[in-house]
Amino acid sequence: MGMEHMDAEVVETVAGATRLLRRAAELAWMQADAAGPRSWRQLLALGIDSAADEALGLLPRRARLDGPTPVGDNPAELLASADQLLRRICVVSAASRLSGLRALVAELVWEANTSAGA
Amino acid sequence: MPARDRRTIGELLADSDALARETLLDATPENAPAMVRSWNQLVASAAHLWAALASRPDSMSGSDPMERLRVVGQAIGRSVRAGHWPGHGATDDHLSEISDNLSRARHLIERHDRSSHPANTARDAHTPDIRGQVMHTLYVAAHGTAVALGGYVTGLQHRLEVGSRRRQPMAERPTILEITEAQGMIARFGGFEQLAAAYMFGQPLPSGDPGQLRAAAPATRLETALAAWEVQAHRTLAANPDSADVVRVARVQALIASTTSIVTEAAATTGHIDPDLWQRLAPTLEANQVAWSRLAKRWGELTSPASRTDPALVAAASEVRAAIAATATTQNGWATPDQLASRVDVVNTVKTLHLSMVASVDIAHVARDTAVDHPGLTATARIIGMRAQGEAEIAIEHGETRYEGVRWTTPRQISSNEVIPLPEPATRGLINLTEDVIATTKQSVAAAAQLDPSGVTRSVRSGPEARRGRSVERRQITHPPGPSPKGPRR
Repeated sequence: MGMEHMDAEVVETVAGATRLLRRAAELAWMQADAAGPRSWRQLLALGIDSAADEALGLLPRRARLDGPTPVGDNPAELLASADQLLRRICVVSAASRLSGLRALVAELVWEANTSAGA
Repeated sequence: MPARDRRTIGELLADSDALARETLLDATPENAPAMVRSWNQLVASAAHLWAALASRPDSMSGSDPMERLRVVGQAIGRSVRAGHWPGHGATDDHLSEISDNLSRARHLIERHDRSSHPANTARDAHTPDIRGQVMHTLYVAAHGTAVALGGYVTGLQHRLEVGSRRRQPMAERPTILEITEAQGMIARFGGFEQLAAAYMFGQPLPSGDPGQLRAAAPATRLETALAAWEVQAHRTLAANPDSADVVRVARVQALIASTTSIVTEAAATTGHIDPDLWQRLAPTLEANQVAWSRLAKRWGELTSPASRTDPALVAAASEVRAAIAATATTQNGWATPDQLASRVDVVNTVKTLHLSMVASVDIAHVARDTAVDHPGLTATARIIGMRAQGEAEIAIEHGETRYEGVRWTTPRQISSNEVIPLPEPATRGLINLTEDVIATTKQSVAAAAQLDPSGVTRSVRSGPEARRGRSVERRQITHPPGPSPKGPRR
């Protein structure tokens, strides 16, 4: 279930988290590609991609995602910002999806901050 | 009025297998295009029969071995319908007859099911054997088609060489493109054959034949995730994909190549596989990972903020990621060879990953078809200006004159960074990158050929061996199941 009936502020918050996650994924892929063909970072980048898609899936089709590119070049920090945004909202109609997404993002923050992911 | 077909299910299957062997033993190069055209129908009939045998509602899920083959058959069928080689034309009588037999067998099974026929109990007991026979028929028919294609390619190469030497008009000679596309089809049928072999040689044989029992491959999470991924990647790419879908497919394939590299190295380091195999395989896997990554980046340039990845593809990709993480990583990165060896059966895991590489040959071909056929590829003007110009310059260096002096974007489009259709050179760039993927995947598969689950390693079939057909293949092919249902034997 998406958030077709959610208020504009919640939609904008999730859209903001999605933008952060997309940018984090973009940076993570750049780092993975730079690290070479056997980079373990691919797993992190793919995980962030999935989180961005999950967040996007919460949004109604009409939601606009274009906006300023999030500032920062550290995927871990962008992930942490997305995590904070997602914790601010409460969506009854998509509670389980939202809690799944929060868990995934929290896990990715941890991965990104470990020695292999950092 | 034709006589009523009174053959039993067993007879229909035995006849099908015999016909498949005929296609192999009498592989006629001239029939190869018709065989390719008939392939999707044959696999569809086999899949329907397989489904009729199903006792579990989830038996046609992504990890079902027949589903893996069905999506490959469908992809080949779509490619032909879209006008790619061999294009429209006659179908093959042998393969069509096998298809009819399998449909007839399915009809008999469904009729028995509806009537609660007492034979059902006996048939249920033989279901694994019937499946083995169906898979064996597909395996042999795929091999026969690949052999015929090999002969066909050899013939084309010969005609091209003679035509060039005698300076025949271009219209009377085969084109390099036709040869390349037919060679690509050989690789796809080779992949199909290996997927079928993986089922046959990985599944336990009937208990009535204890001397030939083989250990069933454990249904690991990784194996299931990879099989489901292949099916979903085919399905998503078949349904007018978004650029974001192709990006995700390419990224996951790159990750699979990296994981194959890590696990194969671990198997070599711990003495589980021949270190020479690793030496041959390592550079090809690296090249394959790089090729998929480049393709992902290029398709990524075509995405927009509105791009959405197919949710089913996202789910399948997430499961591959989770399965790889559980199998081959620790909290600090990739697991060491010793950690891997203590955690999983590294030889079987290498084989599972290699099989996924085999399957990715077809995914790469489908990605190529997507680049060629996608009706609505667009990108922003600045990206197009950069990519189209770069690709056009490469083409001009190779003698292409049509692109000389062409401007791909207008100043107004650049200034507003308008989203515009992809011009030909930019599409060409996507196709070229996909061809790199195809080439490196084939190199990886060839380098790891000794991991082929059937143990029947064959080189590319366009050489002289392809012409020997009957004498060579008689020695190589497995024996089909006998008249009474039994699993495939070597």
